[in-house]
Amino acid sequence: MRTVVVGNGMAAVRLVEGLVARGIGDITVIGDERHPPYNRILLSAVLEGTHRAEAITLRPEQWYADHGVDLRLGTRVVDIHRAQREVEIADRSRVAYDRLVLATGSIPTLPPIRGLVRVEGRLHEQVHAFRQLDDCLRLVAAVEDGAPRAVVVGGGLLGLQVARALAVRGVETEIVEGGDHLLRSQVDGAAGGVLRRSLERLGTRVYTGARAVRLTDEGLRLDNGVTLDTDLVVLTAGGRPSISLARRAALATRRGILVDGTLATSDPVVFAIGDCAEHGRTTGFVGPAWEQARVLADRLAGGSSAYTGHRTVARLRATDLEVAVLGDPEAGGAEDADVVQASNPMTGTHKKLVVRDGAIVAATLVGDLSQIGVITQYFDRRTVLGPREPAALVTPPRTGPAPETAASALPDEAEVCACAGVSAGRIRACSSIDEVRETTRATTGCGGCAPTVAALLGPVPSSVGS
Amino acid sequence: MTDTHCPYCSLQCGMTLLRRGRSVLEVAAREFPVNEGALCRKGWTSTGLRGSRERLTTPLVRSRETGEWSVLTWDEALDLVASRLAALREEHGADANAVFGGGGLTNEKAYQLGKFARVALGTSRIDYNGRWCMSSAATAANQAFGLDRGLPFPLADVEQAEVVVLVGSNLAETMPPAARHLDRLRARGGRVVVVDPRRTPTADHADVFLQPVPGTDLALALGLLHLVDASGAVDESYVATRTTGFDAVRSTAAAWWPERVERITGVAAADLRSLATVLTSSKRVVVLTARGAEQHADGTATVLAWIDLALALGLPGRPYAGYGCLTGQGNGQGGREHGQKADQLPGYRMIDDPDARAHVASVWGVPPESLPGKGLSAYELLSAIGTPLGPRSLLVFGSNPVVSAPNATAVASRLRALDLLVVCDLVMSETAALADVVLPVTQWAEETGTMTNLEGRVVLRQQAVTPPAGVRSDLEVIAALAVRLGAASTWSTDPEEVFAELGLASAGGRADYAGITYARIREEDGVFWPCPSPSHPGTPRMFALSFPTTDGRARFVPVSYDGPAEPLDGTFDVHLTTGRVLAQYQSGAQTRRIRDLPDDGPFVELHPLLAVRLGARDGEPVTVTTRRGSLTAPARVVGTIRPDTVFVPFHWVGANRLTSDALDPSSRMPEFKVCACAVTVPALVGAR
Repeated sequence: MRTVVVGNGMAAVRLVEGLVARGIGDITVIGDERHPPYNRILLSAVLEGTHRAEAITLRPEQWYADHGVDLRLGTRVVDIHRAQREVEIADRSRVAYDRLVLATGSIPTLPPIRGLVRVEGRLHEQVHAFRQLDDCLRLVAAVEDGAPRAVVVGGGLLGLQVARALAVRGVETEIVEGGDHLLRSQVDGAAGGVLRRSLERLGTRVYTGARAVRLTDEGLRLDNGVTLDTDLVVLTAGGRPSISLARRAALATRRGILVDGTLATSDPVVFAIGDCAEHGRTTGFVGPAWEQARVLADRLAGGSSAYTGHRTVARLRATDLEVAVLGDPEAGGAEDADVVQASNPMTGTHKKLVVRDGAIVAATLVGDLSQIGVITQYFDRRTVLGPREPAALVTPPRTGPAPETAASALPDEAEVCACAGVSAGRIRACSSIDEVRETTRATTGCGGCAPTVAALLGPVPSSVGS
Repeated sequence: MTDTHCPYCSLQCGMTLLRRGRSVLEVAAREFPVNEGALCRKGWTSTGLRGSRERLTTPLVRSRETGEWSVLTWDEALDLVASRLAALREEHGADANAVFGGGGLTNEKAYQLGKFARVALGTSRIDYNGRWCMSSAATAANQAFGLDRGLPFPLADVEQAEVVVLVGSNLAETMPPAARHLDRLRARGGRVVVVDPRRTPTADHADVFLQPVPGTDLALALGLLHLVDASGAVDESYVATRTTGFDAVRSTAAAWWPERVERITGVAAADLRSLATVLTSSKRVVVLTARGAEQHADGTATVLAWIDLALALGLPGRPYAGYGCLTGQGNGQGGREHGQKADQLPGYRMIDDPDARAHVASVWGVPPESLPGKGLSAYELLSAIGTPLGPRSLLVFGSNPVVSAPNATAVASRLRALDLLVVCDLVMSETAALADVVLPVTQWAEETGTMTNLEGRVVLRQQAVTPPAGVRSDLEVIAALAVRLGAASTWSTDPEEVFAELGLASAGGRADYAGITYARIREEDGVFWPCPSPSHPGTPRMFALSFPTTDGRARFVPVSYDGPAEPLDGTFDVHLTTGRVLAQYQSGAQTRRIRDLPDDGPFVELHPLLAVRLGARDGEPVTVTTRRGSLTAPARVVGTIRPDTVFVPFHWVGANRLTSDALDPSSRMPEFKVCACAVTVPALVGAR
């Protein structure tokens, strides 16, 4: 039984790994990029220079060969012939399938900016998309060629990551966001404002409520009349599920390809996973894509897993800009939810927990992620918290007293040396460190109490006349 | 005045025992490279069992009808045990009898016990509590390096490192003198990293502290490897010339970016990045794992993930760098080398290797085909009791599984299903209390024998006092039973003679003791194995030039993360982890009977946020319930534990009634260190 996978992104590679692990053979993978699958969400890290481009490869071509998977890179599926159960490739050859998986991902939307596309249909040479590894490598090359200025169009997660990456590379960067604040699909205006201040402090100018309308030799003109003189324009203004293939094959689609809990489309032998699939909604995050890949691998191997949705945690990956968005903190219907928040634009922090029936159902964390390791655990596990906990989670923990003051404040019965079981009082009764060692054996174990013991013994008297 | 070593943990701290008058034995510190004169309170008070009124001094037999104990002479007891063993073998075959050993037994005893099982009983069924200690690290090290020696370098080497990473080790409490080496390292400008769900006293000796969710150390290691590779810090020439298999590991790590690791481990991506920077900016890094990382159903994979990281950084074999396991029990190392394990023969030989069988059989003077094959691992051995083909008798030496086994209620009920349970112990331990026959044996200062400490250094414990009248050594018990069973071979009761035989049996094996003698150990203050001949200096540092694999290279092993065997759910919504406290050791059979050591009983450590949620107060009882049992103990409310986790020490009956018996697929290690529990306050449950 042959399984054909259209697409070779993060969802597809996860699915193939799952199928291989379950002993399913006869798999063909058709990907339109020329690269073996890579970790797409790290492209901005490659741009930033913190990740080597080679280190983001998820599975080399050899892996596919080793596991008997027919991998076809740099080639496109142009049609699905459902009646014949065949896909047609760009060179007009056909591949038969018994089960077809669409993992076609999403494609970046081109904002309506005049001058973006050349007459021959190519992007203006200063303009860069940021979806594929080739886009990223081209942008890296432009930066390395010495482009001094860039404008990032789009103030979403990807836009901020790209802007920070360029800034870290020394490119003078500006952000243009059509909405009234940054990250507008994830966070509220207050959080967006904090982010804006933080970015500007890092040297990146932000234009919100402004649309880029035209690219000319003078630069990128905004609808507020400003023209930004720039060498590079990077488009990060969102994407949409890539569904044209599915639509031409008359599969049921809305924004994405409609799937049920078994990840089947309206054709029971055609499945869809990842950014192109719509299960209640489309997501665009790797977490749901991988969960769908796991469920589908199990089902194709005869299992009975079902996809029931997924909790997302959106994390910004950018140097000196800490943002996490759990679930959808700006979703409507907050009447039955409690919102606990603490915002401090002066320190660049904004923390907001949305709590329903004691459980954290959504959150925004900007600037201070010290509690993220606990908050995401509670969010993922739907832990029911006590009434005081949410507030404690958004208030930074207090720091303890300095050790010297701590020693003098110790009550006599407090244990100072755990290794030997010695109290502060017994140390105070000694006149020297030697006496402590001899009579109590404190400091003779792990040695960790030595500073406290020294403090309890008090300052060594200086000898007269020295 | 007798130079010896502490009876407890794997450091085997050097100490001197001084006689004061007829019966008083005092402990004095002694310079020994591991502890340099330091001891913890367990060591200082270690002579406290001497003269204990609880000490057993006569064989006892328990009536199954009345439950009453009666006294037997040694001959009566040994005749009884031997005849029952013979009868069970006659009726049900050799595998009807089983042996359960311990990682606290001397090398001589561990060796003799393995020989006794295979030669005198002819059973395949022997395993030991070390399976529940460091077996995951042992399995991983064998896979990666071709050899398992806890530390492949002397402990004091860590002082010369730049960075020491402790994964799941609370050595400041479990082996306090070891922490001195960390402080020296820091005084020299080095850095200490501690990874633990609890901010333990060991974290007080650390510069960097990471607090992951229990059971996620594997994901943490993958995340670090990811960052190391991403930043181009992989030691490519080391990987190319000294290892194999990196490509598969590398592409696995590509999927473990920091934010994904953060979501699983609860360690902020920024903290992971800082640690990666610490690792990649240092040449001499030592990675040490302990039970926190190892006692998991994916313990072997977890250790392999940390070894993969160490190999990618080019550490193993580099001076003052590498990977090591901090062994737990006193002879955890030697105890796993000489035939107590179900699948091994002396010298760390595998029992299914024909050459190994031939060699050992020739030393024992028996035909190789008479040696049984691979037996069952510890928990599987105990679980098989009461099944049609399971063991019908069990001889227990140096172990207390009623307290120390996972899912302990089930284990105790298995022990009750035996036809015959024989326990050799000093005191009436919880396991001895279930026995049919209890044989009182010598302890520590009353006998001589070798131990192999966490560094692979073979040390000598020397007899300092005469044992109480009526008590015999384990070697005497084994020999007496072997003779009564008409066993082939010879059965010395002299430790030095047994050690010499062990040397012959281990010769040519991975753990080769052939060149070690008592005289050399005394003279050199311990000898590191392998030491194949009298002229060989021993091997303090390993892997400098090659690894003991077929091609001399270390192996990268790709691993995947599946998470704990028992994830949290709506009912069992808190992680439970277990561990030790400073003043107690293992099942507490010894330490709980020493007056100078505080014995406050078990407690439940929990975070103030969780305490407030539950209405729990410090010092008042809380109940921890898992799918296997429940425990009520006083709450200890501390800000040093993760708020989603509670901790219970395992030295008392109760903790292991809670723990999970999910086993690691290769090491057969149970998942002691994480399971799902519910925490309630008993008073409130009644009030509502």
